[in-house]
Amino acid sequence: MRKNGKTGLSLLLAGALTAGMLTGCGQNGQNAASDAGNTAGTSADSAESAAAQASVNDQDSDTQTSREAVTITAWHDNDESMMNALADVVNAKLADENITLRFEKKPDVTGQIKLYGTDAANGPDMYLFAHDSLGAFAEMGILEPVGNLIDADKEKDFIPMTIEAATYKDEQYLMPVYYETLLFMYNKALWDGDMPSTTEELYDYMAANTDVNAGTYALVNQHSTSYNIAPFINGFGGYIIDKDGTPGLNAPGTKEAVNYNRKFAQLQADGDYNTVTALFNEGKAAAIIGGPWLVSGIRDAGIDLGIKSLCDFTLPNGEVMIPYSGVQCLGVLKYAAESKKEALTRVLEVLAEPEAGITLAKEFNCAPANSKAYEDADVAANEMILAMEKTAQKAVPMPNIPEMSVMWGPAESLLAAVNKSGEDLDSAADKYQEEALQAIADMQ
Amino acid sequence: MKNPRKKFTPWLYNLPAFLLIGVVVLFPILYTGYISFTNMNLYHWQDYTFIGADNYVRALGKMNSDFFAAFWTTVGWTIANMTLDVGIAYILAAGLNAEGLRARRIYKTLIIFPWAMPAYVSILAWRVGMYNTEFGLLNKILVAAGFEKMNFLSKNGPAFLSCMVLNLWMSLPYMIVMFDGALQSIDRSMYESAVLDGAGTWQKNLYITLPSLRKVMAPVVIMTTFTTFKQFDIVYLLTMQKGSVSGSTMQTIITYAHQNAFVSNNYGLSSAVSIVIFVIIIVFSAWTNRAAKET
Repeated sequence: MRKNGKTGLSLLLAGALTAGMLTGCGQNGQNAASDAGNTAGTSADSAESAAAQASVNDQDSDTQTSREAVTITAWHDNDESMMNALADVVNAKLADENITLRFEKKPDVTGQIKLYGTDAANGPDMYLFAHDSLGAFAEMGILEPVGNLIDADKEKDFIPMTIEAATYKDEQYLMPVYYETLLFMYNKALWDGDMPSTTEELYDYMAANTDVNAGTYALVNQHSTSYNIAPFINGFGGYIIDKDGTPGLNAPGTKEAVNYNRKFAQLQADGDYNTVTALFNEGKAAAIIGGPWLVSGIRDAGIDLGIKSLCDFTLPNGEVMIPYSGVQCLGVLKYAAESKKEALTRVLEVLAEPEAGITLAKEFNCAPANSKAYEDADVAANEMILAMEKTAQKAVPMPNIPEMSVMWGPAESLLAAVNKSGEDLDSAADKYQEEALQAIADMQ
Repeated sequence: MKNPRKKFTPWLYNLPAFLLIGVVVLFPILYTGYISFTNMNLYHWQDYTFIGADNYVRALGKMNSDFFAAFWTTVGWTIANMTLDVGIAYILAAGLNAEGLRARRIYKTLIIFPWAMPAYVSILAWRVGMYNTEFGLLNKILVAAGFEKMNFLSKNGPAFLSCMVLNLWMSLPYMIVMFDGALQSIDRSMYESAVLDGAGTWQKNLYITLPSLRKVMAPVVIMTTFTTFKQFDIVYLLTMQKGSVSGSTMQTIITYAHQNAFVSNNYGLSSAVSIVIFVIIIVFSAWTNRAAKET
C-alpha cells in the first residue's frame, strides 16, 4: 500500500514537473501585446498596461477614440536614457489623449523583429533601428508603410537623404528620427599643426607622426570594416552593392579605393573596433574615424575633442570622401497598425515634429532628421551635429535592399585579405565578388 | 506469471523525461527537417511552400573543394588537438600525483580555472589580452625583445596554431581532472609489486598506468574528440567575427556551413545544410561509439 502511494506520488510530481515545463513555454491568456510591452516595467505598470491594452482590444480600430488608454511599445538597441528622453517628449504631448510610448531595449533588434514580426501576441508595435534592414522586413511583409499612418506633409521638412533611406521600392515604410555619419575626430591636445584638407596631406601627416612599434598613431580607423571604408569607396566611384542588388567588390572604383586605403591601413593599428577606440581614448592615437556613438567614451576619457566632416578631405581624384549615413528610423508592424492605428499615428506625428529632434540633439548629440530642428540656437552651435549636417549633403544612405545583409561579410573579408593578410587585390576582389554573388543567390 | 503492469512501469516513470526530450530535442530536429523541404526565406516568409528535395540538392552542391578543404582542416584540427590534449593532460596529471608534491590541492584548483570560465569570455580575453597587436602580451614580449609586431590571426598557419593553443588552454583542465581521478583509482599495490619486481618509471607507466587508464578515459577522450571536431566558437570568434575579421581564411566544417548557409536568411536552405551536418555528426558519433566499444 505504501509502495503504491509512493508510486502515485512520484507520478503526480513527474506529471506536475512536465506540465510546468510545458506551460512555461507558452503564453497565458492575458492580452499578450500588452504583456510584451510590460517586460521592462514594474508590476504596477504591467497591470495598468494590461488593462489599457485589454481596453483597446475590446474595440474595433474604426471605433477607437483618443480617450482610451493605449500603450505603444517600441523595441530598440540604443542608449536607454536617450530612448527614455524621446518617450518623455511623446508622453508629455499625448498625456491628454491617454497614449503612452514605451521603449524596450532588446539585443539584436533585427533578429528579434524577424522572430516576432508576425507575432501580435508577443511582438512590439514599433521598432527603432538603422534603415539598412528595411528591405528585408519589407520583403517579409511585416511593415506598415508610414504613408498609411501620417500625411507626407508632416515630413516635408525632413532632410531628403533621410527620406531616401526610409524608402524601399518607391514606398516609404519608415519614419526617420535621426541619422549618423562617420566623422573625423581628433584630440586637440595631440594633433600637431593645421588640419589637412586632402587625404594625401593626411597620409603625409600620418607617416610623420606614427610609430607602429611604440604603439602611437596619428590616425586610427577600422580599416577593414566596409562601413568605415565606404568614404573611400564612394569617393572613388565604387560601390559595395548597387540599387539592383549587384555586388561591386571587383568594380574598378571599389578596387581603386581598397588599394588606396591599404597604405593608410599600414599606419592604423589592427583596425578592430575595440582596439582603435581604446587607442584613441588612451591618448595613443591623435585622431580616429568614428561616429557619434564614440563621444560618451571620449568625453569620459577627458579628451578635448575636435571634429571635422569627412567631406572636408579631398581624394586624389578631386572628389571628397563620401561616407555612408545610417538613419535611425521607426518602423510600424502591420498587426499593430491594424489594432492601434490612431495611437500610432499620433506618436509618429509628435516624433516628426522638430521638438523630438531638438531633444536628441541637445542631450545626445544626435543629428535630427527634421531640418527645422537645426534652427534651434543650441543645435546650430553643436560642432558635431553641424559636421554631420554638412556630411549629410553628400552622404550616401547605406543600401537598404535585402541583399545588403549578406554583403558585409564578403566586403569585410576582402578588406581584411588585402590589409591584414597581404593578398593580391585583383584575385581577392574576384574571389569575394564570387562569394557575394553566391550569398545573394543563396537568399532566394 | 509476471505482472504486465510491471512491464510498463519503467516506461511510465520515464515518460516525463521522454516528453521533455521530445519537445526540447526531437521537435526542433523534426521541424528543421520539415522546413528543409520548403522555400522559406525572406521572400516567402509567410507563404512558403513545399519544394521537395531542392534544398538538399543545393546543400550537397556546397560540398565543393572548399568544403573538403574545411573538412580536412577539421580532421587535422581534431587530431592535433586531441593528441596534444591527451598527451599534455596525462603528463600533468601524472605530475600532480607524483609522490612528495606539496600544495597539490592548490595546483588542482588553479588548473580548473580556465575550464570554469565562460568560453565567450575566455576567447575574447585571449583575442585582446594575448594576440592583439597593440595590447596583447605576445606582441608586448616581441617588441620588448626587439622584434616587430606580429598579427597572429591574419594568416592560416599562425591562426590555426593560435586557435589550437586557446583550445588546449580551455580543454586541458577537464582532461587533467579526468586523468587525475582515473590515476587515483589505480590500486597502489600494483606499483609496489612492480617495484619489487624491478620495474622502472617507464615500465610502470607502460604496463600498469596506461592499461588501467584506458577503460576509464576512453569515454572522456571520445566525448572530447567529438566536441573538438564540431568546434565553432574559438575559430569564429578569433578570426571571423563581424567587425573583427582577422584575414585568416581557415574554416572548419561548422564555420563553413555557417558562412555558406546561415547568413543568407534562407531558412529552407539553412535547414537542409543543418540536416546534412546532423547526419555527418551522427555518423561520426556512431563511429566513435563503435571505437569506444572496441577499447
